[in-house]
Amino acid sequence: MNAHNIGTVIAFEVRRTLAKPSFWIATLSVPLLMALLFGLSFFSGASAAQSSLESDAEPVTFTYTDASGIVDPSVAAGLGGTAAADPEAAAAAVREGRSALHIDIPADPVAEGVHVVGEDLGLMESGRWTSVARALLTQSAVARIDEPRLTSVLDGFTVTSELWAGGAPAPGWGAAIAPALFLVLLFMAVVMLGQQMLNITVEEKENRVTEMILTTVHPSTLIIGKVIGVVLVGIVQGLVLLVPLLAMALVPGLTSLVGAPAAEMADAAAAGQAAVDLPRVLMGAALFLASFVLFAGILVAIGAVMPSAKDAGSAFGSVIIAMFLPLYALPLVLQTPESVFSRVLTYFPLTAPVTTLTRNAVGSIELWQAGLVLAVIVLCAVLALSLGVRLFREGSIAYDQRLSWKDIVRATRSKATNPAA
Amino acid sequence: MSTPAIEVTDFTMRFGARTAVDHLSFDVRPGETFGLLGANGSGKTTTIRALLGIYTPTAGTLHVEGRPFDPAHNSSLGYLPEERGLYKKEKVIDVMTYFGQLKGMPRAEAALWSTYYLERVGLASHATTRLDKLSGGQQQKVQLGVTIMDNPTILVLDEPTKGFDPVNRRLLLDIVEDQRRGGATVVIITHQMDEVERLCDRVLLLKDGRAEAYGTVPEVQDAYGGRTVRLHHGGPLPTSTRWRPITTERSYAELELDAGVEPRDVLRELVDAGVDVRSFDASRLSMEQVFLKVYGHAAQEEVSA
Repeated sequence: MNAHNIGTVIAFEVRRTLAKPSFWIATLSVPLLMALLFGLSFFSGASAAQSSLESDAEPVTFTYTDASGIVDPSVAAGLGGTAAADPEAAAAAVREGRSALHIDIPADPVAEGVHVVGEDLGLMESGRWTSVARALLTQSAVARIDEPRLTSVLDGFTVTSELWAGGAPAPGWGAAIAPALFLVLLFMAVVMLGQQMLNITVEEKENRVTEMILTTVHPSTLIIGKVIGVVLVGIVQGLVLLVPLLAMALVPGLTSLVGAPAAEMADAAAAGQAAVDLPRVLMGAALFLASFVLFAGILVAIGAVMPSAKDAGSAFGSVIIAMFLPLYALPLVLQTPESVFSRVLTYFPLTAPVTTLTRNAVGSIELWQAGLVLAVIVLCAVLALSLGVRLFREGSIAYDQRLSWKDIVRATRSKATNPAA
Repeated sequence: MSTPAIEVTDFTMRFGARTAVDHLSFDVRPGETFGLLGANGSGKTTTIRALLGIYTPTAGTLHVEGRPFDPAHNSSLGYLPEERGLYKKEKVIDVMTYFGQLKGMPRAEAALWSTYYLERVGLASHATTRLDKLSGGQQQKVQLGVTIMDNPTILVLDEPTKGFDPVNRRLLLDIVEDQRRGGATVVIITHQMDEVERLCDRVLLLKDGRAEAYGTVPEVQDAYGGRTVRLHHGGPLPTSTRWRPITTERSYAELELDAGVEPRDVLRELVDAGVDVRSFDASRLSMEQVFLKVYGHAAQEEVSA
């Protein structure tokens, strides 16, 4: 391979992509959109909190009837409640618009259920009446027990766990964070770079430039240069996407808006609980790299066989589905890792990347088994890339025609280099 | 004896049951201009594609400068294929510079060379224009520029003047002639027989994947009918056993002479027969006539096109 030319190909691919305004519009639109969404979430979250405070401050006036005897009148009065003698009359007052809420508590609230008749405040706000009923009963129960330490258990408590394996403390969920990042990286790489990679493999034939380019640069140099070029472009896109993430990290309170798991992971990392299980991190990195090369090789092969990017689109979609199908079966795989189903998903080349990256992250696969899967993926990646290059040579000269099975077989038998030797 | 610039030995190419090229052998000497001729489907482009490693041959060896073509080693080869195109969404100067770099030129030098070339072919103002905004002829000029970048020692041109108007055709042939004068070996595939007679030292005529004729232009002309006479005349032409008319118009004729017949004997016979001979030009059979003889009427349309 001509090292000088691979650098030229990479530089050309990167330069021409980064020089296009459309690239920057598409790339910047993602963080801008994210920032917009975060901004909207932030302000709507703040206004929701304000609204909640205002709601809490707003006194609620209601009537109640209590056949159970649980309700403490002082608690009820504190919440704005007044005892009613006739439940039917109190409910009728609400129905006629003379009262906002009536709570009817039966003799056995747990068995019979509490009935609430209230004014309609909209689907969301009307839930407030249920909260009032719950508060009335639970606060009354706490008041009657009169044991704050005992009843505080009902408000929830924290549990810290300490896990041990083989006489040493187990890293737990914190250790899954770093290896799991490679699964996220693979997902992002496939989503962000897949179509772009497919386009570059059919570009030569679509532009009728195949013969000129293949007599100037070796096909493997061209393909590998293009793949590296796309990866570099992807890194630029990734860095641009990091901007809103950095903003989240730097602006207090924004992290909580992206969801509880991410917030917990961030908290865990901040608290130093994100233990690094180096062998699994390295295995995750190796699996990611091999999986990406496998993905690139398959795309090159698809692009070489099909006459245009449009025609290659359906095959590309099938590959994506096959690769990420294991995500739907992960609970089953993680619960029964030794079942035939799990083993098939773990070792089948197309499903192996996602399955094994996940299992490696949560520690449900032995390292030697993950190594075996890695060997399978590496072997298939090399074969796919090698086949992709051969098919590229054969397919890119077919221009408008899709390669037949005979052509594909012939290409697989051809020599990778010096074809005329 | 020096190594041939191109050497093809016993080359066979099959696509399934169809044999596109059958046991073909020829060589191209350094510095010569070689014509690869044939009707459509005769195997010319297949031969070139196999020579340049785009096709894998079924059998035989195809060497460029003594070894199989490899772009990593045979960087000094320029190829203008019949199927033409470039990266259409990119700027002219960027594409030319890219190809220059792939051929081994430093980036700045490639850009400078491209600028000079674009000035020569009248496209200097289009250097930063996207290729798909150029006309077909302008794109072809850019493609020729890419082909001859870095002054290759071997030029392979597949129908280089296809689609050019007479002015640009002349410009292109001048550029090719400059390369040839600079010592380049030129292989040209064309249906323009006047170009063949004017440019080529030797030719190979392919028919159904086999070598039909191979040698210098005069040798091939002699092999297909020897000498001809073109004359303008008055009065009817007599019949003769020593020649046969191949073109007869009202006052113009082309006569193909039998082997051993001298033009002066024909002139004497015509004068003796009372023909008013106004002009008389003895020459070999034209390559166009050779082409028609070899490929028959099916090829007539190609040649006239």
